[in-house]
Amino acid sequence: MKPPRSAYPWHWRVLDVLERVVETAWPRRFTKGLPHAMLVPVVLLVAILIAGLVEMLDSSFRVLDTNTFLMSDFYTLDNYRRALTENFFQSVATRSFIASFIVTAITLVVAVPYAYLMVRTQSPALRKFLLVALFFPFFIGEVVRAYGWLIILGNQGLVNEFLGLFGLSSVRLLYNYSAVIFGLVQYMLPFAVLMIAPALTAIPEELEAAANSLGANWIRTFRHVVLPLARPGLVAGGLVVMTLSLTNFAIPAMLGGGSQDFMSNVIYDQFFRTSDQGLGSALSILLVIAGSILVGIIFRLFGTGSLAIKGARK
Amino acid sequence: MTLSSVDREPADADPTIAVSVRNVGMRYGDFDAVKDASFDLPKGKFLTILGPSGSGKTTLLRLIAGFGEPTTGEIFINGEPVNAVPAHRRAIGMVFQRLALFPHMTAAQNIAFPLKMRRRDARTIADQVERYLDLVKLGGYGGRRIDALSGGQQQRVAIARALVFEPDLLLLDEPLAALDVKLREEMQLEFRRIQKELGVTTINVTHDQREALVVSDEVIVMNDGVIQQKAQPILAYRKPENAFVANFIGVTNFVHGIVTGVDGGVVAFRSGGKDLRGIAGGSAPQLAEGAQCSAAIRAEQIRIVTGGETPDRFEIVVEGVIADTIFEGERIVYEITVPQLAEASLRVFDHDPAAHTQFQPGARIQLGWNSKDMHVF
Ligand SMILES: Nc1ncnc2c1ncn2[C@@H]1O[C@H](COP(=O)(O)OP(=O)(O)O)[C@@H](O)[C@H]1O
Ligand SMILES: [Mg+2]
Repeated sequence: MKPPRSAYPWHWRVLDVLERVVETAWPRRFTKGLPHAMLVPVVLLVAILIAGLVEMLDSSFRVLDTNTFLMSDFYTLDNYRRALTENFFQSVATRSFIASFIVTAITLVVAVPYAYLMVRTQSPALRKFLLVALFFPFFIGEVVRAYGWLIILGNQGLVNEFLGLFGLSSVRLLYNYSAVIFGLVQYMLPFAVLMIAPALTAIPEELEAAANSLGANWIRTFRHVVLPLARPGLVAGGLVVMTLSLTNFAIPAMLGGGSQDFMSNVIYDQFFRTSDQGLGSALSILLVIAGSILVGIIFRLFGTGSLAIKGARK
Repeated sequence: MTLSSVDREPADADPTIAVSVRNVGMRYGDFDAVKDASFDLPKGKFLTILGPSGSGKTTLLRLIAGFGEPTTGEIFINGEPVNAVPAHRRAIGMVFQRLALFPHMTAAQNIAFPLKMRRRDARTIADQVERYLDLVKLGGYGGRRIDALSGGQQQRVAIARALVFEPDLLLLDEPLAALDVKLREEMQLEFRRIQKELGVTTINVTHDQREALVVSDEVIVMNDGVIQQKAQPILAYRKPENAFVANFIGVTNFVHGIVTGVDGGVVAFRSGGKDLRGIAGGSAPQLAEGAQCSAAIRAEQIRIVTGGETPDRFEIVVEGVIADTIFEGERIVYEITVPQLAEASLRVFDHDPAAHTQFQPGARIQLGWNSKDMHVF
């Protein structure tokens, strides 16, 4: 039965045709499988990642024959023994882990007020400025930014020239641990703010007013109401910052000038300088394991934060 | 708190006054959310600020609570000027529109919060919390998380939390608005009971006229940021200060006309072809011969004369045609068009169950009322 022409506008007809086309091209019975079909790209990506890891696992048990520069045919734990016992690797690992803790702590301390101000400010202009300032570094990239710090902090850099104006001798600001930490904090800040801001947005402003009227000044309001409620964001932000710092490559390489290598830098050297694929793989596998354990411990201690998959909210 | 030197003392520094609001205004940009509000609230009284949404009720309440300073005027609490005192140093308990309970704490922890913030002796806190849980009839629920409580129970936690530190003043910002009617009416009486029991001075904000009339000692009617009337509920109902108040409280009919004569408190006016009389409304009526006027009369003051009533009981009797019949359960509301009064539309109640099916739309009936029930503005 056809409804009268006037009651049936032309764009309904167009949609009808489209619907029929879709029906022939993608029959209903396919639709049930659609969610699974959509997983295919993810599964492929993960599969490739796992294949790579398996390949690495394989090479990590082979040693480099320094005469032929070929990997041995036999399996040995030699690479792991070296990675775990040699002082050099131990000190690099310690340095990476401690740096990632320090960077996480400093980044969170700076990111929370930043995110809070961005979320709560009454002034749209300030909010826009804070947002743009946050995203701007993303357009520049890590290496260029590290290079920027070289220009600013170098021995002939802007800061030292400025100090020179006052007759102060130049200070060595680069190629030390603090330079790397500083660079990492600056690099991680946007990630942390972006993870924390939604958690703060989710806290109704009325809760803070309530805490106020119940006798809490702003510090105690922050400590007893805002921070506990923002915890999911803090945990998620902290995790992202910690893992990204632990595995960072460019900033220790450029701002550390070779003296402050992290695990990634050492792994890079094994693969591309000494061509010891075996040792490089062993170090990589250890880094993956150590990182996973660290994340596991944090999940245990603080919950899974806003990365929660299931049942994390009590 | 120190008594700073202010030029505006409260009207009479009367020790029985809990809150004194003096010419308070609040301006956002070029918009006045509250304009020149003044009132005194005696200690122990239950005041309701009644007004439609957007009339500035929350703004006024937040100023009293200390969230932001008024643009003009001064607020006094117990005789002390408090404009410069931040919210966390005022002893004011507030129940928010959306309750604002802390979701990461249990009911008991929520109630203990103000005591902890005020650094009360830790040994007494648990007892005090227990006492207030009992007061709001939530004994045994202290360990529940907030989201494991029903809407009504959450209300009770919010009240206990606002009262547990024995504040000078309790502020309620429409906390009942989101509840269903039954629960709302139960909680209104509950508020009243707790308020009486503790004797705490209370300012309640609502847009529900029934709530205002039921629970309050005093009512302030607000509109567009301006206080329209402050009176006891009965007076606000019987003697509305202006057309807005008359319309906002109760079911009110308006008849528009031209003033033909003013004699003391009595106003004669002409609507359509008919001469009517009423009493001059408000405390300062400004009616002159020839001016436009609106006369307000409650739906329950107009009677249906046809059948039963005798016409000579009424000073005014007019003819009307039933336009609509609305069945509301305990009563029927007739909407009646009156050609004699320039086609005015009047609403009239009929509580007589025997008469419930008497009139159908189109039926012609007679209406009667007395001039003393008509307020002319
Ligand atoms: N912070 C603010 N900035 C601008 N306008 C506001 C602000 N707070 C309230 N208003 C305006 O003031 C008016 C009164 O608001 P409010 O006091 O919340 O009314 P009510 O509680 O009676 O519904 C509204 O029109 C509202 O938009
Ligand atoms: Mg409001």
